[in-house]
Amino acid sequence: MARKIGKALVVGAGIAGIRAALDLAESGYGVILIDKSPHIGGILSQLDYQFPTDHCGMCKMLPLVDRDASSQYCLRKGLFHENIDITLSTELVSIKGEPGQFQVMLKEHPNWVTSDLCTGCGECVDACPIEVPDEFNSGLGTRKAIYLPIPHAIPNPYVIDYTVCTRCGACEEMCPTGAIKIPEKARGDFRILVVDDELIVRDSLKEWLAEEGFAVDMAASGQEAIEQLSQQTYQLMLLDLKMPEMDGVEVLQKTIDEFPDLDVVMMTAYATVETAVEAMKIGALDYLVKPFDPETLIPMVKRLYQERAASEGRQIEVGAVVLCGGTAFFDPASGKNTFGYGIFPNVVTHLEFERLLSGTGPYHGQLVRLGDGQALQKIAWIQCVGSRDLQLEADYCSNICCMAAIKQALVAKQKARGNLDTTIFYMDMRTFGKSFERYRQQAEAKHGVRLKRARIHTVDRHAACGDLILRGVDLAGQSSEERFDMVVLTVGQRPIGGANDLSELAGIELNSLGFAQTEAFSLTRSSRSGIELGGSFTGLKDISDSVVQASAAALNASRILHAAGGSLALKSSSFIPSTDVLREVPRILVIVCTCGVRLPAAVDTQKVIEQLTADPLVDGVDFVEQTCTAAGWEHLEKRVAESKPNRILIGSCLPYVYKRKIKDLGQRIGLNPSLIDVVDLASEYQKHVLEKEPKEFITQNVTSKLEMGIARLKWIEPSAPPDIPVIQRALVIGGGVAGMTAALAIADHGFQVDLVEQNDRLGGNLNWLERTLDGHQPTELLQQTRTSVEKHPQIQVHTQTRVVRSTGEVGHFQTTITDAQNTEQTLDHAVTILATGGREAATSAYGYGTSPVIVTQKELEEKLSNQPLDATQLHSIAMIQCVDSREEPRNYCSRVCCANALKHALHLKEINPDIQIYILYRDMMTYGFDESYYTRARKANVIFIQYQFTEKPQVMANQESVRVTVIDSIINRPIQIEADLLVLATGIIPNLPTQLAETFGASVDEDGFFQEADSKWRPVDSLKEGVFACGLAHSPRNIAESITTAEAAAQRTLRILGHERLSAGKVVANVHHSLCSLCERCIDACPYRARSIDMDQDRVLVNPAMCQGCGSCAAICPNGASVLEGFLEQQMLEMIDAAIG
Amino acid sequence: MQDFEPTIIAFVCNWCTYTAADLAGTSRLTYPKNVRLIRVMCTGMVDPQYVIKAFLEGADGVLISGCHPGDCHYINGNYKARRRIKLLKEILPQFGFEPERLRLTWIGASDGIQFAEIMDELVDQVKALGPNQAKLKMVI
Repeated sequence: MARKIGKALVVGAGIAGIRAALDLAESGYGVILIDKSPHIGGILSQLDYQFPTDHCGMCKMLPLVDRDASSQYCLRKGLFHENIDITLSTELVSIKGEPGQFQVMLKEHPNWVTSDLCTGCGECVDACPIEVPDEFNSGLGTRKAIYLPIPHAIPNPYVIDYTVCTRCGACEEMCPTGAIKIPEKARGDFRILVVDDELIVRDSLKEWLAEEGFAVDMAASGQEAIEQLSQQTYQLMLLDLKMPEMDGVEVLQKTIDEFPDLDVVMMTAYATVETAVEAMKIGALDYLVKPFDPETLIPMVKRLYQERAASEGRQIEVGAVVLCGGTAFFDPASGKNTFGYGIFPNVVTHLEFERLLSGTGPYHGQLVRLGDGQALQKIAWIQCVGSRDLQLEADYCSNICCMAAIKQALVAKQKARGNLDTTIFYMDMRTFGKSFERYRQQAEAKHGVRLKRARIHTVDRHAACGDLILRGVDLAGQSSEERFDMVVLTVGQRPIGGANDLSELAGIELNSLGFAQTEAFSLTRSSRSGIELGGSFTGLKDISDSVVQASAAALNASRILHAAGGSLALKSSSFIPSTDVLREVPRILVIVCTCGVRLPAAVDTQKVIEQLTADPLVDGVDFVEQTCTAAGWEHLEKRVAESKPNRILIGSCLPYVYKRKIKDLGQRIGLNPSLIDVVDLASEYQKHVLEKEPKEFITQNVTSKLEMGIARLKWIEPSAPPDIPVIQRALVIGGGVAGMTAALAIADHGFQVDLVEQNDRLGGNLNWLERTLDGHQPTELLQQTRTSVEKHPQIQVHTQTRVVRSTGEVGHFQTTITDAQNTEQTLDHAVTILATGGREAATSAYGYGTSPVIVTQKELEEKLSNQPLDATQLHSIAMIQCVDSREEPRNYCSRVCCANALKHALHLKEINPDIQIYILYRDMMTYGFDESYYTRARKANVIFIQYQFTEKPQVMANQESVRVTVIDSIINRPIQIEADLLVLATGIIPNLPTQLAETFGASVDEDGFFQEADSKWRPVDSLKEGVFACGLAHSPRNIAESITTAEAAAQRTLRILGHERLSAGKVVANVHHSLCSLCERCIDACPYRARSIDMDQDRVLVNPAMCQGCGSCAAICPNGASVLEGFLEQQMLEMIDAAIG
Repeated sequence: MQDFEPTIIAFVCNWCTYTAADLAGTSRLTYPKNVRLIRVMCTGMVDPQYVIKAFLEGADGVLISGCHPGDCHYINGNYKARRRIKLLKEILPQFGFEPERLRLTWIGASDGIQFAEIMDELVDQVKALGPNQAKLKMVI
């Protein structure tokens, strides 16, 4: 794939980091993706099931065009992309410079296992004597110091946790491939100077440290210390604060400049901690409070030692940075811990429960009570543990927990085959995402998950049976208790440890809660230009929102790269075209890796050679000691040079590590890389297989696997993957804030955009929105955006214009539009963005339309801004939320109405503090940091009354006032509110006519919003490639969120617009027209609508860029006319033959 | 009859079950020996003739395994496989093969243990049926 010169750094390889990296890589930029942990995937590596589908499907994020540039396997296993350089166990040290030209320093943790040599045999694990809690299983099991961070990852080299490793060397001895090298540099090289006037302190410190293998010297005074420092190099000084003559601070002042490499840790009594903190400002690293024991001292010294032992930093130059720092979670053992977490074994966090559900978890997905191993029968979830808690200074909602708990209950029920009671104790059930409300209702009605609005205050344990007893208060204020087998605490988000350091070194601001702060109307822009934010670093979010935000962050990073000239193409290296071997008889060279001496000992190699060479197409069979080593590969290349085969089969473990090598080899010898294949023999190398099975059996196995590879290889028909041309222009339909944002984003990358708006002016809903909950000015935003759009030379605005029809596919659509004068015009474009917006729903509920005092939220906003409504004259206002919403037929939450109600309430209270405001709600959906406004409104005496869906408020109105009767759930009695104004929150409906969506091959969901290809992994794409959606046509959103979807959609189009031609993958479907009977079954079978019929030529056509190579068409074709390259019928049949042998 | 070691051909999808099989391998789980994996992109591309071919060549059992419903990388390939295999099971007896020799399952990427278990189950099932005799009986 063509590479541009621009490069970006993505920090954090969780789902957001992966999405941002892939987006940038697919548009041609080079990406350096780092993570401080030794694996990619972040928190999702631990989750097998994700709402709202209760399945994974992460692989759907992989590139859809030019697929061969990236890995084509489960994304939870790993990721490879030509343009992405993934560096794990690496941390950010500093970012200097300006947007477009950052100098970034990275620091890699030491790695003592050579990943290319590790075959994953696991013998080192058996040898390792150290056991520590396993973070992959959220601490529910143990692992060794040498371990697999993720059991299913590839490549999957073992790593050594250097913070716990004792360097005993047992693993090094056991390793059959010599992949492990424990550094010689022992702790003895780490010299420590202990400075204290008390002998007993000096002596005990020396004893403890010497026992750990460190070299320790002592000094009894400050003067002595200075003398010793000048004679000998020390790495660490443990310095007493209070000493006669020269105190610690003075010693520090005298030495800090002269010995910049010396780490200093102060030792202080409790009374002088403040002085120690002062010393840290001068340059001490840390302090220890006396009296201390070895348990506090040793880990600290070890940490300092290891930090020093960590390898040197690496400096890179990048144009932009995307920071996806992730999130941490509340520790329920901290604080009062009335739930007994850490005390009762069956009180777990929802992250731990996730591991209990997982097949790779400590109990292999069996739902058992921890401790006695009995099958679980009754589980409770307690929501908002560490969220929405003012006492814990956590005045925010963690967004995902409600849905996560419902999902866990559903998955648990499924695992238990229905024999499980599940109860979720909650405050508000926040199902504010697309399709979430239906998910909740189904969980309750269809699957019997019990949702109970109650506050649990205590969890106790029954002494005899071990059951957990939950005590709490329900809505009516009644105390109640109930027994459960297990209690899951749905713990809230916390800023990551080291968030302050990260913000300091990256030069970005945090909000008052410690999460990364974003700019007004943006979810990605940090306070420092050129550094974009992604993922839960800005507040915990679900996959869909993370993915949207990450694409938006990629877009804004790409903008900077483009502006700095990063879009210029890199000169590609000299390329030798592949020789045409199509008409040659296959000559297959088979190279088998022996993995040292393992294979020859267990396999009759002569017999393998005999059997394979019986096939006349096999040119030769050779055994190479280790193809994974440089020497082994050289040997292989030598053999290839000698025998000049036109197909090569390699038998070894870890086929994916050869991808790049094969490509290089193919280029060098002029052989199409698809003619070089690797057969996975990993299981044949495993010690337990080799030792257990008879030689004959293993020989047969190896032969059969190689024969299958040969069968596949001999029928490969090498041809360059097809590609299609791209008309590098875009069409954006809808001129609201989303449409304008998308158009600007694309145009800023130098591509022409046609922006079509049916009204006479741009702006959409921004034309009436006056203010936002967080106090930003939509009018300013509108003015700025509109001006930029209208002035942009690359944007053609068509107002009072509609789309008539459209034909074509990704790369080239032809769309006809018509204006107010009915003049038609045809536009050619490669991609389409549907940004047709949405509007406030009309209603006839609660007497709307019968009285001027009953208004909608939008009408209230307009009345307040145009001033026909004088708030100072109002006495009482009632607001009813969820009008016609969250019930059929509009069974979804509109996401913005609760925030709008708060916005109006707080604004009115500001103008006139004496107004009585009553907000009648079902669940307050003040997700994320909006929660604080809910708190603020309660403090401002806004009255919140929760009503039941089954007992909706009653409204009686005349022309001046309105009387609302509602049953208050707390006193369980009807109350009457006399109000001057009743405000109805009617929610949002989309402006996306089905016909318009279908014109472009997209579709709408049951509520009329855009139907995504996948709500989690491809949230702004349509299933048909080249069509995207954003803004309210996609889903209900607030302004900043709408803008983010627009930026994400724009980024998704840049993957296509940035290339003159789109390449397909190797595995792509084809039609043999001579065999085709035009039955069109393949056209219906194709899930990607990549097939069409050409009436002029009577042919079925495949758009290779849209085809994903699933082979449905080949299986359904009755004539064998439809074929999938790489999986031809002859190949499959011959492979079956070889497999049975 | 119970002592023979059945040969099983497993058509596994590239995305889920192949990953699970790989995981079973790296987790050092033991599953029956004579299992040959044939990686396909999607269960939706498994042509019934491949299954019949496997039986005709002497396979004692055939497994087709892909992603869970709703989880298919290619949207709905596994549903296509489900329809196709249901029909195929109806036809198999006409070729002289017991339909119990053919199994369709969904094994997710992290279910290495489940993969090993299903393999064991299938082997037990096939052992109970005895070796595939159809090859001897059939005249083609």
